[in-house]
Amino acid sequence: MRFAYYPGCSLHSMEKAYDRSVKAVCKHLGVELWEIPDWVCCGASSGHSMGHLVGLAIPAKSLVKAEKEGLDVLAPCAACWQRMVWVNHEVSHNPEMKEKISKAIEEEIKGTSKIYSIIDGLAAIGMEKIAQAVKKPLTGLKVASYYGCYYVKPPKVAHVDDPENPQLMDNMMKAIGAEAVDWPFKTECCGTSLIFQDVDTTVAMSKKIIEMAVKAGADVIVTACPVCEMNLDMRMTQINKRFKTNFHIPVVYFTELMAFAMGSTPREIGLDSGHCSGTQSLLSKIS
Amino acid sequence: MSSIVNLSVQQREHGDLIDRVFAECGVDVRRCYQCGKCSAGCSVHICNGMDVSPNRVMRMIQLGMEEEVLNTKSIWACVLCSTCTARCPRDIDVPRVMDALRIMAKKRGITKGFYNASVFHDIFMNSIIRHGRVYEAGLLVSLKLKQSGTMFADLPIGIPAIINVAFRLPKLPPKMKNQDQIRKVVENCMRIEGEN
Repeated sequence: MRFAYYPGCSLHSMEKAYDRSVKAVCKHLGVELWEIPDWVCCGASSGHSMGHLVGLAIPAKSLVKAEKEGLDVLAPCAACWQRMVWVNHEVSHNPEMKEKISKAIEEEIKGTSKIYSIIDGLAAIGMEKIAQAVKKPLTGLKVASYYGCYYVKPPKVAHVDDPENPQLMDNMMKAIGAEAVDWPFKTECCGTSLIFQDVDTTVAMSKKIIEMAVKAGADVIVTACPVCEMNLDMRMTQINKRFKTNFHIPVVYFTELMAFAMGSTPREIGLDSGHCSGTQSLLSKIS
Repeated sequence: MSSIVNLSVQQREHGDLIDRVFAECGVDVRRCYQCGKCSAGCSVHICNGMDVSPNRVMRMIQLGMEEEVLNTKSIWACVLCSTCTARCPRDIDVPRVMDALRIMAKKRGITKGFYNASVFHDIFMNSIIRHGRVYEAGLLVSLKLKQSGTMFADLPIGIPAIINVAFRLPKLPPKMKNQDQIRKVVENCMRIEGEN
């Protein structure tokens, strides 16, 4: 299997642990990644609020390069993924918009490359194959899979899995030997980029998610989105101060647990240093 | 928002608002029958991030309350999580409407509903137009200088987290072969929209 890889801005700056762990899992599973040359930002979270066309044309600029190569896209960031999915949605439903986008990027966009998230991209390989690649099963580790909103909503456009109770990430956690806790806030919103505009509201949103995962008995929260990870992980101390709570739950990417279970070391994938919430308790549990 | 609204005047002067929203985003807000399901599931609204609930935003469009709705914080605070869309029994894509209202507000220079959000979008767009990708360190500095009241809002994340972030955050702008790609796309978009 070969994908055009669209890492997005976060994975090349703050969230290198995600980039490294995605690449490691793909390597373990024999998935080849071809990074889209000279890709540009997808425009989230602002392009679409500046104008409908500009919000579509910016992600199309990188997408068209994958189309030319004849490859489907793998985009591990939820916002990037959804912006590209919207491009394909408009291109296939709205010929007039298709033409406008093509004019704006000065190349013809056809909508022929399917956009995979890291969740459905890896799940497509099959749970059996994932299980076969495991060298160190994470037996006894209780994992709360947090999908966030962009992968599953609005369901008519963004449909990696069920919008209210998705299962794919839970199944992958089971395949690497961990226990997937059943909890109700899998697709609640963390606040995304509202953190740059209204900190009070955003930490209140993130707090509800952390609280529910802790109540459900999770040892760790796993995410598949850089913004979800950032809001839950980086704000833990702030949340504890504000709400007089005492949360100390690690928040990591699900691909980090997968890569670790498949034999990567924490240092290789950034599991030891790439998070604010501290992963010592997690590492001592799974090592 | 004033407590008494003269509906006849609203309809006479702004009765076409609902049609202009439809033209901007293709969503027909007439369909809304005010069940309130969007507001019941809206995380931002539940956490007090909006001044007007999403179902009331829909109602304001139906009533032609153009000035009032374009001046709300809610149209900017919506983060497009689309929980409302997933649950709406009338199949209304509420975030697309919010986006359309932002675009309309922006065109008229109305940003006081949520000044810090408008500033964020401007700085974000400037960053990607200039660099081709987001330059996070530069973005953060610009935000702190231009937003109101956010200068120290991130300090409570604690010293260990601040050190961790400072360690991970690239100090220099992203390197690209052609960093003018987005600038060109944005210019083309403005030209194409101008033609129509």
